[in-house]
Amino acid sequence: MLEVAELTVAYGGVVALDDVSFSVPEGAITAVLGANGAGKTTLVRTISGLVRPRHGSVLLDGAELVGRSPESIARLRVAHVPEGHGIVSELSVDENLRLGGLWRRDRAEQRVAVDEAYALFPPLAARRRGPASGLSGGERQMLSIGRALAARPAVLLLDEPSLGLATRLLAQIMERLGSLVAERKLSVLLIEQNARSALSVAGQAVVLSLGRVVVIDEAHRLAGDEALRHAYLGF
Amino acid sequence: MRAFLIYTVDGVTNGMVYAAVALALVMIWRATRIINYAQGAMAMFTTYIAFFVIEHGTPFWLGFVIALAAGLALGAVTERVLVRPVESRPALSAVILTLGLLIFLEALAPMLFGAQVQSFPAPFSRIDLTAGGTQLYFSRFDIFTVGSVLCVMVLLFVLFQRTTIGLRMRAAAFNPEIARILGIRVGRMLTLGWALAALLGALAGLLAAPVLFLYPTNMDEVLVFGFTGAIIGGLESPVGAVVGALGVGLALSYVSGFLGSDLAPLGSLLILMAVLMIRPRGLFGMTRQRQV
Ligand SMILES: Nc1ncnc2c1ncn2[C@@H]1O[C@H](COP(=O)(O)OP(=O)(O)OP(=O)(O)O)[C@@H](O)[C@H]1O
Ligand SMILES: [Mg+2]
Repeated sequence: MLEVAELTVAYGGVVALDDVSFSVPEGAITAVLGANGAGKTTLVRTISGLVRPRHGSVLLDGAELVGRSPESIARLRVAHVPEGHGIVSELSVDENLRLGGLWRRDRAEQRVAVDEAYALFPPLAARRRGPASGLSGGERQMLSIGRALAARPAVLLLDEPSLGLATRLLAQIMERLGSLVAERKLSVLLIEQNARSALSVAGQAVVLSLGRVVVIDEAHRLAGDEALRHAYLGF
Repeated sequence: MRAFLIYTVDGVTNGMVYAAVALALVMIWRATRIINYAQGAMAMFTTYIAFFVIEHGTPFWLGFVIALAAGLALGAVTERVLVRPVESRPALSAVILTLGLLIFLEALAPMLFGAQVQSFPAPFSRIDLTAGGTQLYFSRFDIFTVGSVLCVMVLLFVLFQRTTIGLRMRAAAFNPEIARILGIRVGRMLTLGWALAALLGALAGLLAAPVLFLYPTNMDEVLVFGFTGAIIGGLESPVGAVVGALGVGLALSYVSGFLGSDLAPLGSLLILMAVLMIRPRGLFGMTRQRQV
């Protein structure tokens, strides 16, 4: 389980997260929703160690992540799909996928994990030797998610995976992700602006506004609460 | 015809030494976006180390290997001590530091090893070979020069393209932030990259010294010619750097052979200007901007 407690992050004088606390249970998707600039990206970047918080803690199964380097957090099986996918466009599709599980020792296991990613996202298999820069927006998102899964993570941080994806494709990816979550007991933190689709797959939802948590509730209840939806989610 | 062959062999041999330096510059540029102006001075210094240990009774080849190992260490230390602390500063800070290192090493060498010009032994004969009475225009040392640089280049290619450590190094160079969230220890990869580049430089130093003699600024010109080759190749492309440096070697050899050796540096400048005017990104430069 991932527990975020009293997390406060500031860029210079700008407070981007203000005393944020919530937890992400195993085997379920937790959605983090909020408007532009709410602090969603800051939250995942802080969890994965790219941003140092001013205050607060992030516990993974009781172990403190704050203060560790991003590379050591990754090795604790926290996988991060960054905003705008973050593939390495100079490398081939296959090399990008291999990067996901590279820090693990067992070569055979690494290969199995990469093959699983191809099975999950068949369009990638057809382009494995090609440069990642040649992929479409949807394929890049698949590559980024596939690469994160190839690391066999315990925690998966997804920062707006819907960005640039067609609705159908997004639904497909979410469905595949949904079954993996239960199967592998993944803890998923799903950042979305597109609240409707995120709420349909998430168990729990956290709504951020200007760096503060304004609502934490079960996703279906939030989706059903018209007043909350209007106030914070714009639909 | 005979003169042409002689100049061609000369050009290729020198060009391979420039190519080693050019490739070292490109490796560091790709990994850390820094031009290492101390590349030549580092090679001079490690060659002095070889000279020193050989003078004190170490067998030649052991001294050779010691110099290569010293190159690895010097590259790693330079990255850790000089470059890493200014990592987040504008790239100019690190460039000025490499210039500082150049001046430092060129001042330190005469203090430690003496300022006089030394002759450095060649591992193989520099007298041109003959085959069945026919003059061949190249010596065993020429073969060794071309062969050893080619060999190291092939090894580096295999390392970068065919091994997981090479994949890690490329990922760290292309996109450090993504590499880090994938668990790659980017700092170590950069240190390793600098170390390997300095190893290549050290080889160039050892190959240049028998021809140029050994003195504190003996690699200055080699650095300029290697740099020219790297720029011609687009600074981003290892193959381009090698081709560019070979081109510089050949051009300089023809110019100094046919027109007089005083004109050689001018020739290098002219090629550089011509290439940059026709192809500002260099012959092998990427047409596409690097994507984030
Ligand atoms: N590197 C930075 N330096 C300074 N301020 C920043 C930086 N990154 C983000 N901010 C500020 O922090 C706040 C939160 O930004 P953040 O990117 O976390 O929001 P977000 O919820 O992910 O927004 P979006 O939906 O647009 O991706 C914003 O006010 C933003 O301007
Ligand atoms: Mg964001």
